[in-house]
Amino acid sequence: MLKIDKLSKSFGGILATDNVSLELKPNSINAVIGPNGAGKTTLFNLITGKISIDAGSISIDDTDITNLKESEITHLGIARAFQITNIFPTLTVKEAIKVALLAKQHGLNNMWNRFKTHSINHEAEDIAELAGLKSSFNIISSELSHGDQKLLDIALALALKPKVLLLDEPTAGMGPEERWKMIEKIQKLWKKTKMTVLFIEHDMDIVFDIAQNIYVLQQGGIIAQGTPKEIKSNKKVIKAYLGGGKK
Amino acid sequence: MEIFALFDCIISPACLISQAAGGLKIGMLLFLVASGLTLVFGVLGVINFAHGALYMLGAYFSWQLMSITGHFGLSVILGALGVGIFGILFERILISRVYNAELLVQILLCYSVILILDDLVMIIWGDEFLSGLGVPELFQVPPLFIFDAIIPPFHLAIVAMSFIVGIILWFIMTKTRFGRLARAAAVNPNMLEALGVNINLLRAGVFMLGSFLAGLGGALAASVGSVVSGMGNSIIIESFIVTVIGGMGSISGAFLASLIIGMARSFGAVAMPLFTDGLMFMIMVLVLILRPEGLMGKKK
Amino acid sequence: MSFLHKDNFHRDAFLGLIVWLVLIVFYHIFPDPGIHDIIQKVFILGLFAMSLNILIGYLGLIAFGHAAFFASGAYTLGLFLQSDYVLSLGGLSIPIAMILAVLISSILAALIGVICIRLNDIYFSFLTLAFQMLIYSIILALVSITGGDQGLMGGFPKPPFLGIDLGRPFDFYAFTIFISVITIVLLRQIIESPFGYGLRMIRDNSERPAALGFNSQKHKLIAFIIAGSIAGLAGSLQALLDVGAYPEWAFWSKSAEPLFMILLGGMQSFLGPLMGALIFELLNDFVTANTRYYGLVLGLVILCFVLGLKKGLLDWILFKFNRK
Repeated sequence: MLKIDKLSKSFGGILATDNVSLELKPNSINAVIGPNGAGKTTLFNLITGKISIDAGSISIDDTDITNLKESEITHLGIARAFQITNIFPTLTVKEAIKVALLAKQHGLNNMWNRFKTHSINHEAEDIAELAGLKSSFNIISSELSHGDQKLLDIALALALKPKVLLLDEPTAGMGPEERWKMIEKIQKLWKKTKMTVLFIEHDMDIVFDIAQNIYVLQQGGIIAQGTPKEIKSNKKVIKAYLGGGKK
Repeated sequence: MEIFALFDCIISPACLISQAAGGLKIGMLLFLVASGLTLVFGVLGVINFAHGALYMLGAYFSWQLMSITGHFGLSVILGALGVGIFGILFERILISRVYNAELLVQILLCYSVILILDDLVMIIWGDEFLSGLGVPELFQVPPLFIFDAIIPPFHLAIVAMSFIVGIILWFIMTKTRFGRLARAAAVNPNMLEALGVNINLLRAGVFMLGSFLAGLGGALAASVGSVVSGMGNSIIIESFIVTVIGGMGSISGAFLASLIIGMARSFGAVAMPLFTDGLMFMIMVLVLILRPEGLMGKKK
Repeated sequence: MSFLHKDNFHRDAFLGLIVWLVLIVFYHIFPDPGIHDIIQKVFILGLFAMSLNILIGYLGLIAFGHAAFFASGAYTLGLFLQSDYVLSLGGLSIPIAMILAVLISSILAALIGVICIRLNDIYFSFLTLAFQMLIYSIILALVSITGGDQGLMGGFPKPPFLGIDLGRPFDFYAFTIFISVITIVLLRQIIESPFGYGLRMIRDNSERPAALGFNSQKHKLIAFIIAGSIAGLAGSLQALLDVGAYPEWAFWSKSAEPLFMILLGGMQSFLGPLMGALIFELLNDFVTANTRYYGLVLGLVILCFVLGLKKGLLDWILFKFNRK
């Protein structure tokens, strides 16, 4: 589904992404782990076209997206949720999801209809339900709880009906109980939509429980990849990352 | 466009020198005022749109002092100091409330102050043009002749004064503790506060310095021109242009840009007398398009 | 009459018609020309302020140079009506003049917008101001065409059209309010359409739209052109009112006026700027009748709003209303 081949990126002499290759199978749920500064968010930025690639290639479903712009890539089926919630503060959940849906359908050029009564209302409700935000549908985004804001961030990505969903630390800023609730929602989402999911996460328990495949990143490069069982017993990973204690 | 007039001027030493001298005078006086504006922006992050009104106050204060004391130097310096003190009050009472507010709020606040001050000076001093301070006795001497160009010595004195003030400003900002703290505050005010520096005092001090510069510019302008309500409203636009072209927060940039603008005005008045201001705005447009951070500014 | 309960275009158009009729009746009940004058001015300036609010309130772009389009509309109308060509057009003159005013302003807005939109925040604001002052300088320089610092001199004819004679006070009053109301109703449709929510989206978050596959720049440009066109329309009405056009309308302080109105009335409610125009005009009228120190009073009022209320009046009223 998503194929990354020998991807590299430097910033002013520092190699942020070092020869990264990975392949996500369709309908899989995968995790990227690694210490802070390992280049996880940079990897996401490269995939979504937010920053340009120095070397290597990326393709989705055999379509090469290496040099495409961010807005073009989203139309090809890759969507992303952000580490620091990146939402629309003054819009309600309903309005935000509608806007995202319309953006995808190139419907925001329309000056003839009324947004409030737009036929897209139903679809927006479905997305909100999928993301677990049905009860907050009419609440203004800035007034949502932190957890709900993160869900909204994901909902906006879902509005793009992506084939590949990238989640950047979806449980960041949450306590242990909330984290599990969040990850359960994500798992439910994944099962329902059959998307290919790649998420960045620091909580090892969660990663080993949910992910089918794990990629371990350190200093921009992948030092190990495999199933949770394989990773747990991987000496390199234990030494570099797990040995230092859980985050 | 009077391109031939310009050409004729450039090849004539008298014209070339007198226009260049005029440009230097305009530029340096502008630098005096604009440096205050860019300093305040660089350190405090505020665009003091009322800077021109402070310039106007400098003119009025020094005019008043002149009519009391009759002493040119004293009137100018004390007048500028008076504006500096006014600046402290302005900063503490009003500006400090909008440090973290949007640009729009800051601009509206400053503009309301311009409106108030423009009327206040009319209430206090009447709405007639007040005749300027006049050239001080020391400089009431015959003009210099350089290559047949007529150069009033007083203009040279103004240029020299502005240049010296510029050097002093540079010295303050780079060599004194105050200057270093101010420059640090521009980058990381919270850190400074955590280190025990009295940020409020620092801010007031910087604003005072900026206001003093505006007031000084106004006082010197009053010596060669008249004093009237609203006289700050065109200098603020020119100071803006200089600040933008030079790079916001950069004093050396303001110096360079002031010279460019001064020369453009002076020679522009020969080449396109009706469009002289337009020339300045064109330069501003070009700089904003090609190099928005300004000549000496830092890229964001 | 069920459509009255729904927030849609028909309801707005109907309400607009009612407002227009009420004001027509008002004209005959209160024959004081001073009041009529204020009402006209409020609509003209209100249009100007509402057009700016597209950028400031809904798009989040602080444009400092908006009066450039107001002035271009005014001068275009004036120059057209002064031309010899006009006499041959007879009854079509004023409609064509106004259409030209809007057209020229929108072209100008497109040219200026395309360049300014590439910059962000404060640089955008300054560049719009620089362009406005450039236009001001051009107006002053082209003395033979624009009359330079005296403004468009010699007046211009206002030939009757469609039975309307703008020389008659009532006709002018009814016409101005009619055009204004239509424009406001159309503007509301634009603001409440998906396009309008695209504006709010950009205002709220400049990064996310690209991640949603959306072309913000194109959207911003279209909004800029719409705003410029309406400002041009307002300018043309002002020119008709004053039978002239003045370079002051292109000076930077003219751009401050709609900013004040947006502050006074509120930028978060659709009609806020119109309410702001009303407050501004009433203040203007009241103060200039009692003292010559209009600037002092206006400055103090603005200061109170900036430091105290922090919202425009209509915003504040609606805020309190929604709280209950």
